[in-house]
Amino acid sequence: MARVKKIMLTNVPTLKKEAKIENAAKLLTQNESGCIVIIEDGKPIGIVTELDFVRNAFSKGKSLKEPISKIMTSPVTFMNPNMKLDEALKIIDTKRFRRYPVVENEKLAGLVTKKDVVNAISDNVRFHRNIQNIVLILFVLFEFFVFVIYKYFYAYLPFGV
Amino acid sequence: MMKIRNIMTKDVVTIDKNSGIMEAATQMISKSVSSLVVFDKNKPIAIISEKDIIKGIICKKTRVKDLMSKEFMIISPHTKFSEISKSLREKKIQRFPVVENEKLIGLITETDIIQATRDFTRFHQIVQEIILAIFGLATAFFLFYFSPLGASIF
Repeated sequence: MARVKKIMLTNVPTLKKEAKIENAAKLLTQNESGCIVIIEDGKPIGIVTELDFVRNAFSKGKSLKEPISKIMTSPVTFMNPNMKLDEALKIIDTKRFRRYPVVENEKLAGLVTKKDVVNAISDNVRFHRNIQNIVLILFVLFEFFVFVIYKYFYAYLPFGV
Repeated sequence: MMKIRNIMTKDVVTIDKNSGIMEAATQMISKSVSSLVVFDKNKPIAIISEKDIIKGIICKKTRVKDLMSKEFMIISPHTKFSEISKSLREKKIQRFPVVENEKLIGLITETDIIQATRDFTRFHQIVQEIILAIFGLATAFFLFYFSPLGASIF
């Protein structure tokens, strides 16, 4: 089975925790990933998604000049790049998050989303299902073949009981 | 197969096109949804999402009608799931209002599609394992039936 490092995004938008909410909002709208990872010395300490902006930054009347660390979600759940996809899915099933930073040697290596993991596993399952069905059909044919031989040609077999 | 009716969000949160974005944001938070359907005189015309609201804050626009986006695909309850899933992956359309008899009856978002794919995959894995187990037992019985020990019993 594939590993997390194969499906993760590698160009993740990042900001230091001292950055202002305004800058983060600008960076977020320019990006497609939908979130910003907040790092400190290369290690992710929090994550800000579109929801955090709508929920905290604007409705509670917080100023756009305040530091981003006031609205980020922290701590975050990490993934390891060498984790298998079904292990990743197990974590995703127990948490309610959609995005997980990937950390290798205490440094941010990428970002993996629920969508990518689910789609990769779904493709994998579909592929395996097709192979498995072909194998099963061959198996049935083989069993039928053996059955016919035993039933009608038992006397001609070189071994007998 | 997966039915659109079963995976869609049935109570769609709507907003008038002349309201302000603060109202839209409050609606999103209180109903915990990520997008609202924009109405103009009882007709759905567009969709406004979290990202549009953030854009509005930066550009200092305050009306829903200046920020709403037309990036959606109207589907019917009979649309095939594979079609939606394909549009999501290839055209990056993330929101699908479900319309039946010219009435809005639901909304499908990316989250619903991911969850449906997840559940469907799990279901398939279980079915596949059951089939394998049945085949395994059948094969074991088959071999036993034709073995000398089995032949002496049956």
